[in-house]
Parts: sequence; structure tokens; C-alpha cells
Amino acid sequence: MFNAVIRRSTRGPLDIDDSPLQPDEVASPTSSVFPLPTHQQQLLSPISLSSNQSQFASPRLSSPRATPRLPSPTPGSNVSNQTYRTAPSHQVSNMSNYQNPQKDFGYLLRPEIYHPLTLLDVPPPFRVSSLQPSTDTPLESLISGGHFRSAAIKAAQLLTSSGIAPSDHEAIFSLIYTRLSCLTLCNATALAAQEVKALEDLNSSYYLDDLTGAHLAPWELRVLAVRLQGMGFNDARRGVMGYYELGREARLTLTALKKAGRDQNAAEIAMWDARLQDLGLRVASALIEMEDLEGAARHLKTLRVDNGRLRAQQALLWLYLGDVDAARKCIAAGADEQARDVILALACMGDAEYAAAVPIWERLIEAGSGGQRDDVEIAMYRQNLAVCLLYLGQLSLTRTHLESLIDAGHSWRGLTFNLATVYELCTERSRALKISLVERVAGLREEGRGSEGVNGDFKL
Amino acid sequence: MAHQRTGSTIDGPKEPHSVSLKVLRLSRPSLSIQHPLPTPSPSPTNSPAIYPPPSASLAYPSSQPDPFILSPLLTLPPAFGSAYVGETFSCTLCANNELLPGSTAPKSITNVRIEAEMKIPSSPTAIPLILGPEPSEGAASEEEDPEKGAEKRKGVDLEPGQSLQKVVSFDLKEEGAHVLAVTVTYTETTPTSGRVRTFRKLYQFVCKGCMVVRTKSGILPPAPASSLEKKEGKKTGRKWALEAQLENTGEEIITLEIVILETNEGFKSQGINWEVLREGEEMEKPVLMPGDVQQVCFIVEEVLDEEGRGQEPVDGRVIFGILSLAWRGPMGNRGFLSTGSLGARIK
Repeated sequence: MFNAVIRRSTRGPLDIDDSPLQPDEVASPTSSVFPLPTHQQQLLSPISLSSNQSQFASPRLSSPRATPRLPSPTPGSNVSNQTYRTAPSHQVSNMSNYQNPQKDFGYLLRPEIYHPLTLLDVPPPFRVSSLQPSTDTPLESLISGGHFRSAAIKAAQLLTSSGIAPSDHEAIFSLIYTRLSCLTLCNATALAAQEVKALEDLNSSYYLDDLTGAHLAPWELRVLAVRLQGMGFNDARRGVMGYYELGREARLTLTALKKAGRDQNAAEIAMWDARLQDLGLRVASALIEMEDLEGAARHLKTLRVDNGRLRAQQALLWLYLGDVDAARKCIAAGADEQARDVILALACMGDAEYAAAVPIWERLIEAGSGGQRDDVEIAMYRQNLAVCLLYLGQLSLTRTHLESLIDAGHSWRGLTFNLATVYELCTERSRALKISLVERVAGLREEGRGSEGVNGDFKL
Repeated sequence: MAHQRTGSTIDGPKEPHSVSLKVLRLSRPSLSIQHPLPTPSPSPTNSPAIYPPPSASLAYPSSQPDPFILSPLLTLPPAFGSAYVGETFSCTLCANNELLPGSTAPKSITNVRIEAEMKIPSSPTAIPLILGPEPSEGAASEEEDPEKGAEKRKGVDLEPGQSLQKVVSFDLKEEGAHVLAVTVTYTETTPTSGRVRTFRKLYQFVCKGCMVVRTKSGILPPAPASSLEKKEGKKTGRKWALEAQLENTGEEIITLEIVILETNEGFKSQGINWEVLREGEEMEKPVLMPGDVQQVCFIVEEVLDEEGRGQEPVDGRVIFGILSLAWRGPMGNRGFLSTGSLGARIK
């Protein structure tokens, strides 16, 4: 019932097209994809004008302000097409990028792109000054300290400060990546989905190095932008499409690398292989997010099963769909022991055989504690055991398990949410317990552990 | 609307209760959804020091990179959700001692009991529910209340802050308003007095249908008799095709597990649906999105008795049997439904 994967006539950077189409011909098929037409941007306010003017004043030569951003015309065509100008055009440049390799990314530095962030959804215990880093903390420290909200703010400040040159694409793109990724980590994905629109079409040839043809934006940013732009432009299919586009590039690169010599390129081949696999799972994820679970299941089957992990992921999808038998079948062969047990325990719970799941979780915890298995996995088993126990009427045990995980320094959203739910069952005064839970997690932050939560994570 | 109990002390003391009742519908726990960040690539052109670690975007910060949206971390049901005919409704009931430890007037709460019943649309009397699980060690006192010993009800003593948790299940069979009525009874003892207190809470919810079945039957032309049958002059029974359209009218995605025609005596049936596989084919159970319709078909054959007689129509109809469906909802939530009698008109 979903035609999820129907490709549109979006063209990518690797298309070969020697004859740039006429502007009119190009504009029509693609303009519908991007609901942010030229004139809208012109409405954006005088600030954009002035910031653009300041770029003009800079010593750098009349950058090809002609357009980076609008829908991907055929590669190469955008350079000379006045139609795609998105900023007020003061100057028509027919100059080719080859003469002017310094591209202008000043349009990504406009302050109006970046929204202010508030602390409104941050519970008060996290707002105390001892937990909020000072404004002059460098970005690196904010990231390493897990201050993602502050890091998002800092990244936007750096992007809009005058300290960054519009041609310094490396700095600009990594700051944008930091900004967008941090927004998704502090419950502001909706904002990220708006801000990512400024990048417009990352497949446009404007983002390619004119000499080498290499993409100027880092791979991570392009991957991240796919889902966010899908949300921002309110078109989930775009997400699936975007991943396919990247996948095509990964395949072509792989082919080229392998042709050039498998041995000398082994490391790069491995990296692109990993990227391709990553994209395969992201396509499945995008389909799941669109609720096309059947499509996702079918897609997962097409991926090369070369590890037990993929089997476990397939099994998770079957469980999510509700086909418990299919989930069990998935892990019957090939999955590693822990992964198999996790699925088995989840399958028992799917069958409402909660009592049968308990010993499996316990076994996983025990096996993990003895070995080199990392702490976080054991914590996940324990939190799932705790959930399982609630279905067996063991409220107090559930509570003990979850609280001890918090005490051990874990504070993921699912854990705090579950514990808050348990508190709601335990008393009419659950608010007080939830607040004290926030305080405990804030205490972990003081020790440099855990991360800042939002009200929803604690059911506040 | 709710069943009235005689002799209860619902309207007794106005003083706030020392025990609270909290309820959570126990739908299946769900897998956590995560939106993993890409793994920063080791390349000189970017600065991973200002990139947040991808593990921060996972449902739990596993050290293994995982670009998949589903995580095995379970979350408890966030909301009541929808209740559908054919499913088992499950709910946890918690009676909590709300007294603060060390409060000025020392009170003790003993003999806490929970009772629950379900009021369904078709019946004026509520159906008493069995409360599970059996009291576990330590949590329950095995002593029976001497006054109510005959009723063999066991109460539990709760320290301040302690809870008594029970789980009830109920198979939903009817559309319409259901009421879960929960009664909590406990003994509140102060140094000077003791009394039995009771309160009752009602939880109403609407149960909807999530599977609509439409059927149609038609007689099939008699198959050309085989040469053996011709020789023996054997009569074959009539055949019908019973078709059914199964529509998912709920809001959740469901997977059909079983659709069978349970035939009455005198008929046999064969499904010609997804369970019929060619060699090398893997069975794919039909997945129905909300609003999706799945068509199924059965060949029904009359079984003749020794004298070659078939089924006599009653009121111009023969009855084949009933259609039984079983499906699974998200996370394996089970659903089960049987239709009324299905048959064909005999002209």
C-alpha cells in the first residue's frame, strides 16, 4: 500500500550530463521537491541582505553566489543559471567554478537559520549553574562532557560569528554537523529538521570540489541530513531516496577502489563497505519510521547476511511487527549466543510467557558479569529483567533493579522513563519521587556521568 | 452503571484513605526506538573532537555501533492505547500504603485486599476477575483474617511506602464500554482504634473491533469424475468456495497467524491461502496495515455418508462451520476471533 521506494527523477552528483539543460526545463521537475522557492528566501529579512553584502565586501572575489542551494539541477548547470539564485542577485556571474575554486558557503552562516534553544523542557535540577558550563567553554569540552545542548548553542554561535570565513567549508560543515547532531540529542530534532533545510540539496554539484569531484561535506553530515531533511520537508520518502542516492555513490566508489587495486585500497574499501552496510540498515529504519514494516522486512532480507548482528536486527523487526515465530526462526542459526538469548527472552515476552523470560535475562546477566562483556549490555539485560518482573507482579523487585541501575550511573531515557512509570504505580505522590530521580541523575552529571534529560524522560 | 455492593463502607469516613490504588494497563512492553547518529569516519577532513559520540544517540549507550532504529531495550507502555475485541486485556493494580514513615499519628495498615471485576456491555452483572500472581514470599502474610476466615481471603500487611501488586487479565469479546471496577479493602489500626475501610474505583474504556470479516459462498461446478469413480458409480459430494475478506479496522499493524474453517460434521474444507506453499517457498504471513483487507478462500466439500447422502438443508441453508482467526499485534500481542456459523443457501 505504500509506494515507499519509488524513485523520483532526482539527479545525483554522479550523473553524467554534458549538456546543461536550460533553466526552465530544469526547474520544473525538481522544484516540487523543495518547497522553499527562491522568493521565499528573499523574504527572509534584511539581515540576510546585509550579511550577504558583507560577503561582497570581502576581498574574496565575487563568489559564485549563484546558487548552491536550490534543487539539484544537472551538475554543472547551476553555475551559470541565474534562475537558481536564491539570494538577491546583485550581480550575475557567468563565471565558472573552475576559475574560482573558493566556494562561498556564506549562506549557511546567516544567523536567522539557527533557532534559540531554551531550557524550558529541562528539569530544574539540571539547570543549576554548577551543571551548566560557562559560555567560554570550548566546543570540544562541551562535547566530551556530554553538554549537547550547550554544544548546539556554541556551534551556532561559532557559525554566526565573524570568525569563520564563508569559504572555509571544512569548518562550516563540521560545525553544522555538530549543531544538528547535538540538537537531535537534546530533544530538539524538530529544530534540526528546520535548520537542515538551509543546506538545501546536498546532491547539488555546488557541493562538489570542482577539481577533484569530491564532495565537500563530510559523509556523516550527508547521512544525518537525509533523515532530517525528510522531516523538515515533510516527505519521509525523501529519506529513503536520499539513502539510496548515497548508497549509489558508495557502490560506485567501491567499484572504482576495487578496480584500482584491492590490496592498496583495503582500508578504504573496508570503510566504504561499512558505509554501505550502514546505509542498508538506515533504509530499513526509514521504512520502519514510515510504518512500512512489511517493506522494511523485505528490504532487510535483501541485505547480505554476513553477521549474526543483522539476524538479530531482523528478529527485532519481526518482534516489533508481532511475528514472534519469525523472530525465533531468524536467530535459530548464525546469531551469537548473547544476541540469540536476548531475542529468545524478548520472544517469550511477546508470547506473554514472562516467567519463562526471567531465567534467560538472569542467565545473560550472569554470563555477562563473569566475562568481558561490557557493563552497558549487562545494564540493558537488567533493565529488561526489571520490566519483565513488573508483568509478573513483582513491583518492588522491579523498582529495586531500576534504582540500582541509576545508582550504578546509568541514566538513559528508557530507564528513567520506566522508573518514573514504576513510581507512578507506587504512590500518589509520585511527583516527589520523580523529582528526586531527576536530582539523582543530576548528581551523576556532577560526576561527569550520564546525560542531561528533559522533562519527558522523567514523565514530568 | 457499576455493580453495587451491599454493606460496603464506600460512603463511610470522610478522612482521606491511607491506601491508594494505582492502575496501569499492561500491554506488551515495546522496543525502544533510537535514531543513531552516523559513525564519524576517520578522515583528516573533519574534526571528530567536536562530533558527539554516536553511542549518545542510542537507546542505551552500547559500545557496538548500531545504525538500526530498533533497540532491544524495553519500555513500559506509555499510555492506555486502544482495546480491541479478540485481545486479552491485561492490567496491573497496585494498592499502596501512602502513610509517611514516622508520621505523628502512628497507624498501621494490615489485611490489604484487592478485588476486581469487569462489567461488559452484554451483561448486567459484572464478572469477577482472578488476581494473579499468587502472593510471593515475604510480600504476603499467610494468616487468614479470623473474622472472614470462611471467605478464605488473604490480606497483606503493608509498611508505609509498601505496595501490593496484582495483575488481572480479561479476554475482550464484545465491542462497547467496559468498566473495570476495583475494590480495595484494608484494616487501619491506630493505638486507640482499628477499623476496616474500603474504597472502589471504576475505570471505563471502550473496546473496538479490529477485524471485520465479510464472507461469500458459491457452489463450484462438479469436477469431472475420475474413471475409477465412474466405474464404481460413486457419487461425489457438492463443493463450494467460501471466500472471506478480513479487514483490519484497528489502528495497529497486525500479522495474520491462522485462518481456518472449522467445519461441522458432514463437511471438510481446505484452505487455499498463504499456507499453501510451492517447493522452496517460504511461508509469509499476511501483514495488514490499518485499513488493509486480506482475501482468503476455502474449498468446502460435502462428505457423503455410506449411502451417498449429503447434508439436508435447514431453512434452505447448509452450515459449513465457523471461521477462526488468530493474529498478532505489535510485540506479539495476541488476538483471536471466531465468526458465527457460515454456510450456503441451497436453491
